[in-house]
Amino acid sequence: MIGMSRAGLAERWQLFAGAFLSVTLGVALVQSSLLLLISAATYRPPAGLSAAERMEFTDSTAAVVSMLGIILGIATFLAGFIISSTFAFTVAQRRRDLALLRLVGAGRGQVRRLLLGEAMLLGTLGAAVGVPLGLAVMAAQTRLLHRMGFVPDGFHGQWREWILAVSFGTGIVLAVAGAMVAARRAARVRPLEALRETGDAARVMTLTRWLAGLLFFGGALALIIVAPHGGPDGGAAMAMNVPLPAAIAAAALSPLVVPLLGRLLPTGSGVAGVLARANLWDARRRSASVAAPLIVLVALVVGTAGAGQTFTSSGIDELRRQTHADLVVETTGPAGAAITAVPGVATASTETYLPVTYTTGHGEDAETDTGSALIIDPAAYAAAHSTGSALTRLSGRAVAAGPSGDVPAHGTVVVELPGLELGEMPIVAAAPTTMSGGADLLLPPGVAPSSLLASAPTRSFVTLRPGADASATRAALAKVGTVTTTDDWLTADAKDRTRTSDKIMLVIMGLGGLYALIGVVNSIVIGAAARRREFAEARITGLTRTQVIRSALLESSAVTAAGLLLGALAAAGAYGAAVASTAAVTGHGTLSVPWPLAGAVCAVALLVTGATSLITSWSATRRPPITLLAARE
Amino acid sequence: MTLRGVSRVYGRGPAAVRAVDDVTIEFPRGGWTAVMGPSGSGKSTLLHCAAGLERVDAGQVLLGDTDLTAASDRALTALRRDRIGFVFQSFNLIGSLTAAQNVALPLRLAGRRPRGAEVRETLALVGLADRARHRPRELSGGQQQRVAIARAMVTRPDVLFADEPTGALDSSAARVVLDLMRQMADAGQSIVMVTHDPAAAARANAVIFLRDGRVVDRLAGAGPREVADRLASWEAAQ
Repeated sequence: MIGMSRAGLAERWQLFAGAFLSVTLGVALVQSSLLLLISAATYRPPAGLSAAERMEFTDSTAAVVSMLGIILGIATFLAGFIISSTFAFTVAQRRRDLALLRLVGAGRGQVRRLLLGEAMLLGTLGAAVGVPLGLAVMAAQTRLLHRMGFVPDGFHGQWREWILAVSFGTGIVLAVAGAMVAARRAARVRPLEALRETGDAARVMTLTRWLAGLLFFGGALALIIVAPHGGPDGGAAMAMNVPLPAAIAAAALSPLVVPLLGRLLPTGSGVAGVLARANLWDARRRSASVAAPLIVLVALVVGTAGAGQTFTSSGIDELRRQTHADLVVETTGPAGAAITAVPGVATASTETYLPVTYTTGHGEDAETDTGSALIIDPAAYAAAHSTGSALTRLSGRAVAAGPSGDVPAHGTVVVELPGLELGEMPIVAAAPTTMSGGADLLLPPGVAPSSLLASAPTRSFVTLRPGADASATRAALAKVGTVTTTDDWLTADAKDRTRTSDKIMLVIMGLGGLYALIGVVNSIVIGAAARRREFAEARITGLTRTQVIRSALLESSAVTAAGLLLGALAAAGAYGAAVASTAAVTGHGTLSVPWPLAGAVCAVALLVTGATSLITSWSATRRPPITLLAARE
Repeated sequence: MTLRGVSRVYGRGPAAVRAVDDVTIEFPRGGWTAVMGPSGSGKSTLLHCAAGLERVDAGQVLLGDTDLTAASDRALTALRRDRIGFVFQSFNLIGSLTAAQNVALPLRLAGRRPRGAEVRETLALVGLADRARHRPRELSGGQQQRVAIARAMVTRPDVLFADEPTGALDSSAARVVLDLMRQMADAGQSIVMVTHDPAAAARANAVIFLRDGRVVDRLAGAGPREVADRLASWEAAQ
């Protein structure tokens, strides 16, 4: 049987090259993300940092770790999805070969063992190349993280011995799991199917496909329904996760939908168009395999990015609605007294930022986090940020939960400022949670010594007296600190937030999107490998080579369009959840669709599938058709 | 090999087609039987039912005292390995394997380590000892069909089923294949062959005529002319 496998490998190299490639890239991506995550999680602050710097370092590392966690999750999802669908497709393409084996006496177990043996071999080979490739990917990802400013200068991904076991395990397990379902099915192939000239007459919508499709559809629906009740963080996390189950559901059900959508698309009335439409209907399995990675690509990139962008812009809008001030003054150290002393200033909410470590809960439930605290004047803060009367009880030795929503609204919290243990303090109030987050804790003036505050960044939201001379007041304030109008400040802040969220999306989606795109190319190449004979028959029937190629191009464009449409549907699910969540949190539903990104993804997808299909059909029709049809096997 | 009251129906209700309709037949051990009939007469279906490739809706198919209709997939697989051989119009060799590897395949699937001599002898039997290392695409159609016969014969099956074995061959290649089958039949091999070529059918010991899924006629020791006339008369009667 090993000899059989080897001979089979040589003969059907496109199928196996595709499967191998999917494993190699998947292993590389997962390995790199995992190593980076571990490196970031165990990264220690360099020596010689002050207490405040150390707290800030811990806070920013926590953010990087959670971002790398998402990258790892997406990498694993993509690897699992693309490897298993590629293996299942290669097995489906060989149905006739397998029936032939059954005809000459192979038992079901033998067919299964042959396929699983192959998967194990390809998984091992793929991982063997994927491990060194993963190191290259890690170097690229680290460079990207540095360039975006997410990690400190000294940070680099580190090699771990045990990653070898993980990478080989990933490659082999995903390959075998992908082949398993297909192999069970292929082993049930009836020997008589070998006698049909064209294989793949089998039912495409299997029970497994139906179950997977409906199950994940239900999962996506549940996320959409629950997201508005999850608060700002939970809602965002749920909405941004909708594309994953939605994409799996759309991919599983695509054999039903793709041919239908393909029919609706104009393919022209010429011979090539008619043939393309007929092929779309007939070769559902092939169409579905090309559409699946496209669906994931669009859902993941456009869906997740759009949901993220929606939450960011909703936060910006909310901030704009809630902030009531004319000017923002930025200083080092508290400047409240100096500011209110300026004639023309009515009120000023002076907020001094300090890093903080806080512990909530008791005993086993105790949880320590690093975050940010603001020293505020409760009444002025409430006026400047529209928090209502919630903060009126904040005074003396007490704290209020900040707008980040990470600290509970009652109970107690153990607070540690840089170099200063404040001990256990009661939480007496809570600022309403906002979409854009903000400080974790609000502290009344007087809890922190002035020595600690002297060097802390401070921001004051200033309102002017009615009828005050704006320019004179501004000039006077400029002696205290940097002055901007609230509008300008909000715009700059919004730009900053958007840029950060764009960068995060690029880091998270960049390589994943590329991998999904390679999955698409893979499926087209694998599909075309089995089509030489079909092309030859079409040419014998009287079609010119150009017509055959044009028909293949039309077909792949229609499948691509259908895949993009289904992907857009999955992305729309995420948008729905995002709109509902922002409405629930801020009272205003927001939707921000990344049109340029969506357009670029569609253009690239159409271009890549078109080019791949041109090249593969051109190469498959290079030999005169008669030599192909005469050489029967 | 005995078929008793075998029926195979495709479709349901008024659209149902009785491809094989209550056929009872005995294929003698060590004889070569040809099955003829107009296209659509059910001859291929009959062959598939007899070989255990197709489920029957009624009746029994007995090979010796094994009932194929009641056999499990495992038992049918074992039968295909050891007691039944197939030859088809489209050869159905595995393209990636050499002639020798193709011939050795059934033995390997049965878990036996094929002896080189055994494979060489079988290839020599079909006159292709010097083509052992060639792949199917490097062989002519006639040679490919002879490799397929060698593959079917290597397990020394009780019955060899042949479905239009000369259908894709030119007349001289067909003659070589038919000569080979004649030799095998003379050596005691049971053969059941479906064909629409009277010249091929005339080489068999007996010819059975099928129409609308039923056995309608039988000839023994007839020449090509006689077979052709009889076939023409059944086709005309349709």
